[in-house]
Amino acid sequence: MSGLATLETGLLLGLYALLAGIWGILWALTQLRQAPIIGLLAAAAYGLHTLVALIIILWTPLGFGWKCLIVGSSLVFLALPPMTWRLLQRTHDDERSEHDRESSQHSRRLMARL
Amino acid sequence: MYRSQALAIKYFSAAMILFGVMTLFGLVSAYYYLNSDFLFGILPFNIAKIIHINTLVIWLLMGFMGSIYWFLPGELGRETAGIWAAEALFYVFCTAVAVVAVVFIFVQYGGSNEAALWFINQGRKYVEAPRWAALGIVVIMVVFAYNVIGTAVAARQTTGIITVLMIDLIPLILLYLIAFPAISNMSADLFWWWWLVHLWVEATWEVLIGCIMALALMQLLGTSRRIVETWLYIEVALVLGTGILGLGHHYFWIGTPSYWLTIGGFFSALEPLPLLGMVVHAVYDAGAQHMKTTNRPALYWMMAEAFGNFIGAGVWGFMITLPQVNLYAHGTQWTVSHGHFAFWGAYSCGVISVLYLVLQNTRNLAFVDGSLWKWSFAALNLGLVGMTGALLVSGFVQAFVERAIGGSTLNAFISGQENAWFVDGMVARFLLAIVFTGGYVVLVWDVLTLGRRAPAVATVAAAQ
Repeated sequence: MSGLATLETGLLLGLYALLAGIWGILWALTQLRQAPIIGLLAAAAYGLHTLVALIIILWTPLGFGWKCLIVGSSLVFLALPPMTWRLLQRTHDDERSEHDRESSQHSRRLMARL
Repeated sequence: MYRSQALAIKYFSAAMILFGVMTLFGLVSAYYYLNSDFLFGILPFNIAKIIHINTLVIWLLMGFMGSIYWFLPGELGRETAGIWAAEALFYVFCTAVAVVAVVFIFVQYGGSNEAALWFINQGRKYVEAPRWAALGIVVIMVVFAYNVIGTAVAARQTTGIITVLMIDLIPLILLYLIAFPAISNMSADLFWWWWLVHLWVEATWEVLIGCIMALALMQLLGTSRRIVETWLYIEVALVLGTGILGLGHHYFWIGTPSYWLTIGGFFSALEPLPLLGMVVHAVYDAGAQHMKTTNRPALYWMMAEAFGNFIGAGVWGFMITLPQVNLYAHGTQWTVSHGHFAFWGAYSCGVISVLYLVLQNTRNLAFVDGSLWKWSFAALNLGLVGMTGALLVSGFVQAFVERAIGGSTLNAFISGQENAWFVDGMVARFLLAIVFTGGYVVLVWDVLTLGRRAPAVATVAAAQ
């Protein structure tokens, strides 16, 4: 791997992860605000993330296995925010007991006997 | 107030002082890059760097211990077991830290013998404290573990968070024992040394801060225990799942078998995934509460923790974690940039968040807000992000000029150090370190005067 390729690959990997983060944050904000513009921005962020992934796959000297890892990570990054959100919603929805809403100092529900 | 909580306040006070020492020696270390004659013959660069990094470890450790001593009695409904021992050891801890610092500054070096290992410097990066002090840390951590486990036993009850914490304290202590052996084979020594450094920072400390944040979330946002504990289990499983074998990214170039290239690269490339989950969780929590809380600085620092962890550890780490890139990037300012951002995001922001929660309770403040914390929040984060950006630029130059083009020769090293981009990066880093230091000063001022401004804060609360 040449020196220039090192710098390019390192930067692209950073950009790849950063855009995944921006996608996740914007996607989560879309769920909160229900604003279509944020949804579009989220889609744009993931689009850019995919573009960077493609550049990494096509133009960097990383080996085949590492490129597969990039593809796999992109798919997980796509699914992670909705999955996390759904799980969070489910956990909160299931949380009905008033007893559990007390502060940590008084909550005893899940305290198990040693 | 429980005696344990009074002890927590002492730990936070000591942590804040050491945070200042770390910042000061960081500033001094940064200045050496601009003026290599600075303090020539008085204080070498490596000693300033040792103090900078060791105080980082100790102030965070004290912050964690303070947080646990604060939350533990409330969580289990009784005074911490063996609190007298913890109280006594706090003073021993502070004295030991001061003595070690004095030895580092004034003695600096010893001979190549056992006496130097015992009384001056163990010579192993990040755990340089002489052996007597390292033994002291083991004693302190054992007592700390006894405090937690003994309290749960005495209370005849535990919670999910405390159970996770108790389990975490065992590897936390055992891994520190790796600080003692003086293995003469460099590869074997580094192999085990990374167990201590990596598995503390990216495994046991991650779990510890996860427990602390879970306790803080319940107090700050009133989030239910069931939700907090469910997410603690998930996040701990994911962080440990990727972090333990992510250890392999330190094994690339120290003489270990080549399969570590694949294992280390693969698992550490997965590390951003749970961090993204934490960011989504933070947005969810902030949205559920509409950013409304009685303690705004604590909430904002907690948010900074989630975002900083993802960017510092996830994004910055991902840049250099694949072996192909790491071949050129390891040991450069690029890595330094990642280290600064990751420690700040993963740990420091969390400790500051808990500090504000403690202040709200100890000073009976109905509402914590104002302008000072905003200035310190802005200056500390701007300074830190700016420093990491500047270090990144310098690191690029080193990876490119010194490593990739120059082939890591002495001439290439000099070319890299003299490159205009490298020098400019170092100047920018120093200037932004001053901004960071300013933020620290404002933070201390805010922490010291928060109670005095209580009437004004109470008025704000009443108005709402």
